[in-house]
Amino acid sequence: MPLDPWFLFRVLVFPGFIFILFLTLFCDWFERKIEARMQNRVGPAVAGPGGILQPLADLIKLFTKEDIVPRNAKSTIFKIAPVLGFSMLVFAMLFIPIDGQNAIPSSSFSGDLVFVLTLVTIANFLLFLSGWASANPYGSIGAARVLTQFLGYDIPLFMFALSPAFLAGSLSIAGIVESQYLPFMLLAPWAFVFFIVTLQAELEKDPFDIPHAESEVVGGLETEYGGGRLAFLHLTRDVQIVFGASLVVVLFLGGPYGPVFFGPPAFWYTLWFVLKLLVVILISEYITCLFARLRIDQVVAANWKIIMPLAVISLILTVALATWVYPLVV
Amino acid sequence: MPDSDQDFLRTLQETMGENVQVTAGHLGKASIKSKPELIKQVVQAIQRDEPTAAITAITGLDLGENIGIMYHTRLRHNLVTLIVEVPKTKPSIESITDLIPGANFHERELTDLFGVTVEGHPSPGRLVLPEGWPIGLYPLRKDAKIENLQESQSSQGSTTPKEPETDGKLVNIIIGPQHPALLEPEKFSLKVDGEIVRQVVPRIGYVHRGVEKAAEQRTYLQDVYLIERICGICNSCHATTFVEAVEKILGTEVPARGKYIRTIILELNRLHSHLLLLGHAGLEIGYETLFQYMWRDREPIMDLTELLTGNRVVSSSIAIGGVRRDVKETDSEKIKAELAKLTKKLPFYQNLFENEPTLKMRTQNVGKLSKEDATKLCVVGPVARASGVEFDIRKDEPYEAYGEIPFKLITRQEGDTYARLMVRLGEITESINIITYALEHFPTGPYRIRAPRTVPKGEAVSRVEAPRGELMHYVRSNGTAYPERVKVRTPTFANIPAFLKTAIGGNLADVPANFVSLDPCFSCTDR
Repeated sequence: MPLDPWFLFRVLVFPGFIFILFLTLFCDWFERKIEARMQNRVGPAVAGPGGILQPLADLIKLFTKEDIVPRNAKSTIFKIAPVLGFSMLVFAMLFIPIDGQNAIPSSSFSGDLVFVLTLVTIANFLLFLSGWASANPYGSIGAARVLTQFLGYDIPLFMFALSPAFLAGSLSIAGIVESQYLPFMLLAPWAFVFFIVTLQAELEKDPFDIPHAESEVVGGLETEYGGGRLAFLHLTRDVQIVFGASLVVVLFLGGPYGPVFFGPPAFWYTLWFVLKLLVVILISEYITCLFARLRIDQVVAANWKIIMPLAVISLILTVALATWVYPLVV
Repeated sequence: MPDSDQDFLRTLQETMGENVQVTAGHLGKASIKSKPELIKQVVQAIQRDEPTAAITAITGLDLGENIGIMYHTRLRHNLVTLIVEVPKTKPSIESITDLIPGANFHERELTDLFGVTVEGHPSPGRLVLPEGWPIGLYPLRKDAKIENLQESQSSQGSTTPKEPETDGKLVNIIIGPQHPALLEPEKFSLKVDGEIVRQVVPRIGYVHRGVEKAAEQRTYLQDVYLIERICGICNSCHATTFVEAVEKILGTEVPARGKYIRTIILELNRLHSHLLLLGHAGLEIGYETLFQYMWRDREPIMDLTELLTGNRVVSSSIAIGGVRRDVKETDSEKIKAELAKLTKKLPFYQNLFENEPTLKMRTQNVGKLSKEDATKLCVVGPVARASGVEFDIRKDEPYEAYGEIPFKLITRQEGDTYARLMVRLGEITESINIITYALEHFPTGPYRIRAPRTVPKGEAVSRVEAPRGELMHYVRSNGTAYPERVKVRTPTFANIPAFLKTAIGGNLADVPANFVSLDPCFSCTDR
C-alpha cells in the first residue's frame, strides 16, 4: 500500500508528533510562568517574548551535553527506557481527538480509552525501570516511590475515568467526546474533582510529588541521567502532564467541541481544545502551589483509605444516575 | 546574683572544703577552681542542688606546662565556670558525659584540639579534624605551627573513624557532604530499616577554618572582622559577643546610643535569620510557595541592614566601644515604615502555619524533643524554647539594651518541628516590636567611645542570644594587642545532639524537615 501524504502529515506534523511536541513545550512554559506568578516571581523571561522559548532552549541545551552512562548501570534499559517512555506517551496522545478526530484517521475503536490508559501505565513502568537501571541509591528510591505511587493511584484513576464512559455508554474516546452535549463535568462533578486530585498524584505533582522530593532523594530517578536522555525524561514528564490534562478535557470538558464561527472547523476545535487544556493545567498548578509535599506513607494511606472507597462510591453513583435518572432528564 | 545562688556556692564550698576555690564575679557569675581528679564530684555536687545544670562549652587553654580546662556550666540562668588544670605530660581527665550527655561533643573537640584524653567517653574519636590529620599534633596548643603540619604530612597516621557494627538488615543512607537538603558540607550517615531511621552517625568539620587559632595571630581590631565572618547570617551576633568580652576585660562602658544601635542590628539579624529559616523549612517539606513568599519578605530586611550599616549581609558595623555608624533621624523613620509593612503581612503567615493541613501533617509530631531531653542535651535557642525550656540570654542576662526593652519570651510545649517553627514565627513579631521600641526610645549622645588597642591581662566570657540560640565567646588577653585565646561556642554545635536524638525512630522523609527546624549553620559549627 503506498503511503498517503495526508496520513504522514497528520501523524508527523499536525496534529501528530511535531504539534504535540510544541504543545508540550508551550504547556511547560505556561506551567512555569503560572507557577512563578502565583509564587510572586517573574518566571522565564529571557528567551523569546515572555520567555516562551525557554523550554525549547533547555531542550536544545540538554541535547548538546555529554552523554554519560554509569559503569554499573544496566546499560540497555538505562539507554532506551526514557526514549521508549516518551514515545509511549506520544503514541497515546495520537488517540486524543485534538482537532475533532484522531491523528491517525479512523483509528478510533471501541475500548481505546482502556488502551491509552494502559499505554500510560507502561510509560510509568518504563520510568521506574530507568531509575532502577541507573544503579544509584537515590535513583532506586525515587523509582520505587514512582512505582508505589502509580500502583496505588492507577486503579482509582481508571475507575474515575469509567464514570464518563458509563454516562456516554461507550468505551471509545471519540464516543465519549461526541455524546457530551452537556460536558460531563456538570453531570458528574464529584468524579471530575476526584479525577483531577487523582491525576495530581498520577502526574507526581504537589502535594504528591514524592518521587521528586529533592531534599530527600536528590534527583530521584533522574539522578544519574544527563544530556539527551535527561531531556527525554523531562519531555516524558511534560508530555505526561499534557496527556493527563487532555484526558480531563476529553472525558469531562467536552473535548475539542465548541462554537465554530467561520473557516475550517478543525482550527476552532484545536483552539478550544488548547484553551480547555490550559484551564486544566491552571487548576493543577493552583493545587501544586497551595500545598506542601506529603510523606510517602501518608500518600499511600490517603490512597487506600480515602481515594479508593471514594472511587467505588463514585462509580456506583454514576452508574445509578446514568441508568435511572439522566434518561428522564436529558 | 540571687541569694539562692550565693547559698548554693557557699554550700558547695563547705561540702568540697579545701578542694575548691570559689571566686565570685569571675568568668560568669563565679568561677570554681578545683583539681582534675575531682571534676566528677564537683559536677555531681552541682547537680544535687541544680538537676538542670547544663554545659555551655568546654574551653581548653594552653598554659605552658599545663593545659587548663574550663567547663562553662549553665546554672539556672547564670554561667558558672569550673576550672581544672592537667599537666601537658599526661593530659587526661574523666568524662562527664555520663552526668551531662550534652558534654559529648565538647569533650571530643577538646581531645581533637588540645590532645586531652577524656577517659570513659562513650564515643571517642575525631570530631572536627580530618581523618588524615597527623596524630600528636594538637592545633590549638601554642607550640603547634603550620610547619609541624607540613613536616608530618609525609609520615602521617590516619585514623579512619570506625563505623559502628550493624547487622546486615540496615541500609546505609548518606546525607551529605553534598546534598540538596544541606546547603553546607556536613555528613550524616543514616542507618535505615525500610523507611525508619535506626542510627545516625555525624561527621562534622568539613569546612573547619581554625578561626580560634587565626584570632590569636591577629590584633583585637582585626579579630572583630575575622570573627564576624564565622557566620554570614548572624555575623553581628558574633561580632557583638566578641567585643563584649573584650569590653569586659577593658572595663569599657558602651554609650547608651551605641547599645541601642547594636540592639537594632542584632534584631535585624534575627529577623533575617528567622524569615530565611521559615522559608527554607517550606522548601524542605516541598512547599515552594511558602519559600518564595518568605524570601520575598526577607528582602526588605536586608535593605534595612544596608541602610543602617552600609552592607546587606556582613554588616561590619560593630566596633570595640560602640558601633561604627550613627542612625539618622530619617533612616529611623524608614525602618519603622518598612517594619510596619512586614507586620501587616504576618497575620497571613500566622494563619497559614495554623491552618494549612499539609504543612501541619509534615511537621507536627516530627522530631519530638521532650523537655527533659532538651535539658539533658543542653540545647539552646528556639529549639530549647519549643520544648518548653524558658531560656533566653536576652532575659536571663540582659546585654546591650535588652534590659530596658519589654518583650515576650515565646515558648511552646510540644517540642516538635512544628513548635520550633512556630516559636520563630512568634519571635519575628517580638523582634519587630523590639526594634520599634528601641527607635522610639532612642537615647541621644555619642554612639561610640575610642578603645585602646592593647588590652590589659584578663579573661572574660560573654553570651548573646543569636537567632539560633545561645552564643558564647571566651577571650583571654595577655596584655598585648593580640589575644591569648579566643573560644567560640556556636548554637548549632550545641543543637546537633538534639537532631541525633530525635531522628532515631523517625521516618526517613522527615529527616530534612526535622534537621532544618534546628536552623543548622555549619559555617558556625566548623568555625
